[in-house]
Order: sequence, then C-alpha cells, then structure tokens
Amino acid sequence: MAASLRRRNALIGLSFVLPNFLGFALLTLVPVLALFYLSFTNWNVFGQADWTGLANLRRLAGDRSFWTALRNTLYFTGVHVPVTLVLSLALALLLNTRLRGVRFFRTAAFFPYITSIVAIAAVWNMMFSPETGPVNQLLGAVGVAGPPGWTNSRDWSMPSVIIVGVWRDLGFYMLLFLAGLQTIPRDLYEAATIDGAGAWQRFRHVTLPGLRPTTFFVTVVLTIGSLKVFDLILVLTNGGPGQSTLVLSQYIYQKGFVQNQFGYASAVSVVLFGICIAVTLVQFLVNRRRSA
Amino acid sequence: MDRSRLTRIASLAVVAALALTGCSSGDSGDESGPVTLTVGGWSLATTPEFELLAEGFQKSHPDVKVEVKEYDAANYDTQMTADLSAGSAPDVYPIKCLCTFATYQGGGQLLDVSDVTGGLDETVKSAAAPYTVDGATYAVPYREDGWFLYYDRDMFEAAKVDEPDGSWTWDDYAAAAGELAKAPGADAGTYTHTWASAVQGFANAQTADGQADFLAGDFAYLQPYYERALELQKSKAAVDYGTATTNTLTYQGEFGTQKVPMMLMGSWYIATLLAQQESGDAETFDWGFAPAPQIDASTLSSPVTFGGPTGMGINAGISDRKVDAAKEFLAYISGDEGSTALAEIGITPANTSDAVAEAFFAVEGMPDDELAKSTFSTRVIRPEVPVSANTPTITTLLNDAHTAIMSGSSDVPAALEAAKQEYANQIGG
Repeated sequence: MAASLRRRNALIGLSFVLPNFLGFALLTLVPVLALFYLSFTNWNVFGQADWTGLANLRRLAGDRSFWTALRNTLYFTGVHVPVTLVLSLALALLLNTRLRGVRFFRTAAFFPYITSIVAIAAVWNMMFSPETGPVNQLLGAVGVAGPPGWTNSRDWSMPSVIIVGVWRDLGFYMLLFLAGLQTIPRDLYEAATIDGAGAWQRFRHVTLPGLRPTTFFVTVVLTIGSLKVFDLILVLTNGGPGQSTLVLSQYIYQKGFVQNQFGYASAVSVVLFGICIAVTLVQFLVNRRRSA
Repeated sequence: MDRSRLTRIASLAVVAALALTGCSSGDSGDESGPVTLTVGGWSLATTPEFELLAEGFQKSHPDVKVEVKEYDAANYDTQMTADLSAGSAPDVYPIKCLCTFATYQGGGQLLDVSDVTGGLDETVKSAAAPYTVDGATYAVPYREDGWFLYYDRDMFEAAKVDEPDGSWTWDDYAAAAGELAKAPGADAGTYTHTWASAVQGFANAQTADGQADFLAGDFAYLQPYYERALELQKSKAAVDYGTATTNTLTYQGEFGTQKVPMMLMGSWYIATLLAQQESGDAETFDWGFAPAPQIDASTLSSPVTFGGPTGMGINAGISDRKVDAAKEFLAYISGDEGSTALAEIGITPANTSDAVAEAFFAVEGMPDDELAKSTFSTRVIRPEVPVSANTPTITTLLNDAHTAIMSGSSDVPAALEAAKQEYANQIGG
C-alpha cells in the first residue's frame, strides 16, 4: 500500500513537471546535445553531417579570427565586469540613503535596462559621432585637442562599447545590490559605530561581508552575460572597424548564419560554453573558500 | 490496468495523432486538377513585385493558383535556409543575393531550369549567366539591377556645374563632386553609402581581373578605388563615412531630401524615389540618372557597372506534378508580359527588349531624356561578387577591410594585406 502511494505521488509530481520539461527538452536540451554532436562534423545545413573528428578544433587553433574574437571577448569581460560591479555598488550605496527624491533616481537609473537596445545603439552612436556628436563637441569645448573617434576608431571602439554596456547594465545590478543592502541588520552598524568604527571601516567590515551572497551572484551573472555579449555589439559597431570589436558570439553567428558553416560554428560555441563553465567554477571555488 | 485508464491513454494517443497529422500539409491527391504554386517573397507591403507577378500569371493561367509566402527581408536567407532544410520552403523561391546562390545550388536545393531560359529573350539569357554552373542554369532572372549615377538637376544648376553627359571617368566624377560641395544647401558634393559594395562592387566589375583576383584572395586591385573614396571624403567632396555610420544616414534621405547633388546607387532606387516623391517622403525636384563613372574612355560606349540579377529558382523538393506549372511561372516572369508589368512600376527587368524599355520610360515622373534611355539600354552589368562556395567568407573579410579603411583605422595597403592574410587563414592558399 505504502509503495503504491509513493508511486502515485511520484507520478503526480512528474505530471506537474512534465509540460515544462517537455518544452525544455524540445527547445533547449535537444538542440544543446545536437550542438555537441555537430561540433565534430562539417554540417552546412543541407544534407548529411559528416563526422570529421577533431578537425574543427584543429582548425580553431590556427584560426586568427577566432583568437581575435576570443581576445576581444576577454577584453570586454575583463573591463566591463569590474567597472559595472564597482559602479553599481556605489550607486546602490548612494541610493540607499534617505536622500530627497531617491525613488525617482532609482527609477531613472533602472531605465536604460528596459530601453530597446536598438534605440540605445542609435542614440549613443549619434552622441559618439566623431565630427558632429555632442561628446566630442563637449570635449572640444573643454579644450581637449584631437578627441577620439569612438565607434569609428579601431582603438576606441571597444571602450565605447564598454561605456554603453556599463551604462545599460548599471541600473539592474544596482537593484540587486539595493536588495542585498536591505538584508544587512541595522544593529550591526550601530554596534560598529559604538565600537568606534568610521564610515570606511563600517563599509569594509559590515557592508561588504553582508553583501557577499549578492556580490557572488552579481559577479557570476555579469561574467556569463559579458562573455556572451552579442546584441549590443551587433547593433553598435557590428564588430568593426575591422575586427576591433568582433566577439565570440558574433563570430559564431558569422560562421553559422552568414557562411553556413554550422559544424565549425558549433565548435566555437562549445569553446565559449567551456569558457563560461570554467570561469563560473573558479568563481564558485573562490567563493566557497572565502565563506569557509 | 483498469478500463478507465486504458480509455484515457487511448484518447491521448488519438489527440496526439490528430495533432501530428494536422502539422503535415501534404498534397491533396488529385493528379490532373488545379495546381497551387507557392512562391517566396519579402516585405510584400513595400515590394509589390511578387504579388504583381503572381496575379498576372494567374490571369493567363486560370488552372494555377499562386500563393506568395512572405519572408523578412533582412533575414531572408537565414529563414529560407531553415525552411529548405526543414522541407517547408515554397515551390519557387527568389535568390535575393547573388552572394548566396552558390549555397543553394551547391547544397542541391535548386532544380535545373535550362529548358526555361532557352526560350527567353537574349537579354535574359545574358543576365542568367551567373546562375549557370557547368552549362546548366539553376535560376531565371526577372529583374537585373545595376548601379547608376543619380543627379539632382536643380542642385547642379544652382552650383553652375555641367551635368553628366555619359562621358564621365572617375576623375571627372571626383572633380565635379569637389565643385558641387559648394552648392547652396549641400552637405557634400556626393554621397557614397556605407556598404562595402559601394566601393568594392565597382572595382570587382571594372578592373580587368577583378573577379579572378577576388576569388584568388589578391585584393590589391581595390586600392585605387579606396584611395579615391578616402580622398573624396578628406576633401569634404563626399559625406564622411564616420558621420554616415554613427548617424545612421540613409541614402534615400541624403539624395531624396537634396542634401547631396549626386549619388551612386542601384537601379532599385528609381522606383523608391518615384514613390517617395509621390508620398512626400522625398522632395520634388528634377533629377536624372547617368552611367556609373568609368576607369577611362575605352568603355564609354557600353559603360560597365556592377549589380546583379534577382532570379527565381525551383525548389528541388517540389512535387513532380507542380514542376510544369513552376517552369511556366518562371517563363512568365522573365517573358515580355511579366517584364512589362515590372517595368510599369519602375523596376528594371532583366528583359530589356524594346517593348519593355518603352513601358519603363512611360512611367510618370521617370526621367526620359536620351542619357537616361541609353543608360538603361547600353548598361553592361557585371556581378557584384563572383559566384563561388567561398564567396560568403571572402565577403565577410572584405567587409572588415572596408570598415577599417573607411573609418581611417587602417591605411589602404595594410588593410588589404590583412584581408589577404585572413583569406589564407580562412580558405588556404
């Protein structure tokens, strides 16, 4: 009787999960598994996928465009993650005070995150216009000679993309930090003040440790998001000038959907997947050691 | 297992089976009855040609019903590739860009239609050349667009500069652009759109070995064309590339609202400009079109420009009983009847026989001076890019070179050398 009841409960449980799992399996799991298989083939959409073993990986090792895309992806992630992290924390601390109109500023800071990326790119591109854009006109007005070409220059295109990326993401991560700040008990601050701790010491010894779970979550999500950045770059610079902002996701898109080399594109995807997994694992390990 | 559970399972199976059969379309039996032909198209609201051809064909073939299946213009090739791969593509589909023809043909997705082209006008046969592989033709061109020089007569007159007379070389063009930059209200003397083809297409078509060098990965032939483009923007005779990209300038806005007196653009712009002048999106002014500038005087009698056919091919997976109707449809769109219908809405058909040309220049608002007429009839259109399995890859790496050069991020020889190395890296050799 007990066994049949358990089985019945299990069946009921499964029936609740099933619709969602079916959708997940059909739309996510199967394509992902297919991706791993395809990365060892030369599939070009039409006809058969011929097994080519490690040929795609060998080709990757000698593919300069792939290395350029990888370098650019790491450049973007390496700057975008820390800058967004620090600025969104600073903004959260600022907007966690009893400032006049604080709700308005919180909403304003969140706005870019819910604005269409295409509109963001169009407006920022105009602001960055080398000759007629407000950014360079402002720089000229304060006496900067030879201001940068921003999205129209090979050296400045990546910083431009990062600036827009940080500006867009700031509000969202600020909101997460704000939520984290609410969970730190007030009496900890009072106790620290009584013990003679200054503002900086309170921040360093109360706020930062209290925010650790939030910081960890934000870092992981931000890093993965940065590693697979695509839409922002596609609409802002389309990878140019030259290959100066070509990132891995875009390279995958180019190889797959423009050049129909789906086997090779799958191999690049697997590499990007591996990098994301590796970076996340390292972050988990570091976090566990710190909290131990 | 009790009976009620059995019934439940059985009814689930029936629902599933019904759902599955509902998904598959299948042809409905009858061998000799009326045929429904599906034809691919894009942006039907702004691209009237597909429904125009479908309606015209149905009138003369009452036993065939033509349904146009709409695709997104920007993602046409991606969507069509997916549909072909899934077996749900239309019976007849357009080859939107010559650059992807090899993908479809090489992938075995197109039927041999040589017997259709055999019976068509000579002008269609020559336009079909890029669709011919090993003696067999795989698509039939219904329109053929080449790049012309558009000019604003009012602005030329205001700047007191002589209008193009069909004898312009690139040097004449550059000199005129320099003078026109001073025209009242002009942003610059001419506008070069931001596409790589706006520079590279002319080099590919007009340089003696352009097409061969393109495929061989030897890109030095592009150098003079880039140096001229840079010189024009440096002297402010042409709109700056950085300004055009960062402000997302449109060529329709630049020429149509009289910001520039000259522009090189494909012949599809004729129909657009006529429509925009009608709707008020473009200003009303006197304009004309002339042949693209040439390298020297040797090609002036039959000026060489770049462009390409837009053709339709038959899906290799079409059911046998529809093949004849599909071939008749292809013969119609490139024949005198279909081509005249296209010409009447300002489209440049691949068929440029006298009857078609007459219909084209009878369109209201169309410039009908001798220069425009000879530009239409004496054009020699060479492919924008040669057809090969490597074309999509080469186009990508030359696009990188284009953005690097035009933005001033790299000098011309260095960018072309980088493209050559990238060719070796991606394709080998």
